[in-house]
Amino acid sequence: MIEVKGLVKSFDGNIVLNGISEHIEKGEKVVIIGPSGSGKSTFLRCLNLLETPDAGEIWFEGEQINTKKCNINRVRRKMGMVFQHFNLFPHLTVLQNITLAPTLLKLQGKAEAEQNAKRLLARIGLLDKADTYPNMLSGGQKQRIAIVRSLAMNPDVMLFDEPTSALDPEMVGEVLELMKELADDGMTMVVVTHEIGFAREVATRVLFMDGGQILEQGAPQIFFENPENERLRDFLSKVL
Amino acid sequence: MDFFMDFFGSIGAFFSGVASDFYQTMIKDGRWLLVAEGLWTTIYIAVCAVLIGTVIGCLLALCKISKSRFLRGIANVYTTIIRGIPLATQLMIFYFVIFAPMGMDRHLVAIIGCGINSGAYVTEIFRAGIQGVDIGQTEAGRSLGLSRLQTMWRIVIPQAVKTALPTYTSEFIALIKETSVLSFIAVMDLNKAGDMIRNATYNAWMPLLSIAAIYLLLTFGLTKLFAILERRLARSDRG
Repeated sequence: MIEVKGLVKSFDGNIVLNGISEHIEKGEKVVIIGPSGSGKSTFLRCLNLLETPDAGEIWFEGEQINTKKCNINRVRRKMGMVFQHFNLFPHLTVLQNITLAPTLLKLQGKAEAEQNAKRLLARIGLLDKADTYPNMLSGGQKQRIAIVRSLAMNPDVMLFDEPTSALDPEMVGEVLELMKELADDGMTMVVVTHEIGFAREVATRVLFMDGGQILEQGAPQIFFENPENERLRDFLSKVL
Repeated sequence: MDFFMDFFGSIGAFFSGVASDFYQTMIKDGRWLLVAEGLWTTIYIAVCAVLIGTVIGCLLALCKISKSRFLRGIANVYTTIIRGIPLATQLMIFYFVIFAPMGMDRHLVAIIGCGINSGAYVTEIFRAGIQGVDIGQTEAGRSLGLSRLQTMWRIVIPQAVKTALPTYTSEFIALIKETSVLSFIAVMDLNKAGDMIRNATYNAWMPLLSIAAIYLLLTFGLTKLFAILERRLARSDRG
């Protein structure tokens, strides 16, 4: 589904991604861990071209997306993204946050989009918040709404960029729970996170990044029980 | 007793003197009409100019944040030149050098000149407003598949307007005061009206303080009015 070949990205001469090649299959739940500054967020943001790579290729559903010919807006409809800081639109109600993109892009009529949004809100137990504004919500509520805002586009893959890092500890659980449900529904997911427990439980594959490279990867059992790479062992000893 | 009589007597004399001065300078011979006409000129030129300035400001603010170096260059040259030259000088250039030879009406020149001038300031206000919106908002919009334009129009600008509004309204109020230099191109605005009365009546303090009071009422009233509007807007934000 997603194919990355020789991805290189640097900021002001500082190499952040150093030749990454990776393949993500449909239905996989890939969790990326690594120390801060390892390039994991940049890697994720390259997948939907929020960052433009300096070199390398990114393919999505059989189409190379980092070329001039590719209509990236069309591709992004199929790639949901969830941010560390939620990025809900503060001037719109919860319902409008969810219906804005589907109606503006004429994928759904207004009534259909609202019905769809309400169904999604009911699913996360926040239907009563449909007409409130984001600044009235807790962090956990905001993030769950950000997730369903992406889901309203019926994406083929969901990208999560440290979705729980900005949350108060007591709200981390509700967000992870929703992400687990998504995983159980068969959503293809790429998750950058520090939640090792989530990686153990949900991931089909875990990637360890450091210094702009993927140093080790594998199924979570093997990955966490028998880490081979020295830096991964060092990292795990600090976070576990 | 005599002291108090004298005291109140002189206060009474003072006020009756003021009233008579006021009548002599501001009312008699229909001079209040002159003030009213000047006030109207000031207001309509400021309103028209701020509308022109808003259109220019919108366009140039978008140029300033555009990817195109050419558009950014144009906007930068515009704001640098306009903000670097006094309004009075600009108006005189517009009128005597450019438009008067074409036979254009001086009021129209005043509107265009003030509009072009205000546009430079409004550009900076809007640019700051747009760039003040968190980049995450743009990223969220784009990652949902919205185009640059859709994201700008539906997500960034509505938020930018809200933050830019207080500075924008104070630019309008500043413009009202700045139109007082319109007499440089012989437009009879409020300031000029006061000056003409001073010339005609040989009384300086009454006409000048009177128009000062009118300016003050105007700007103070508008400040209060805009503050109410902003509070309304902020309230709708919270649902």
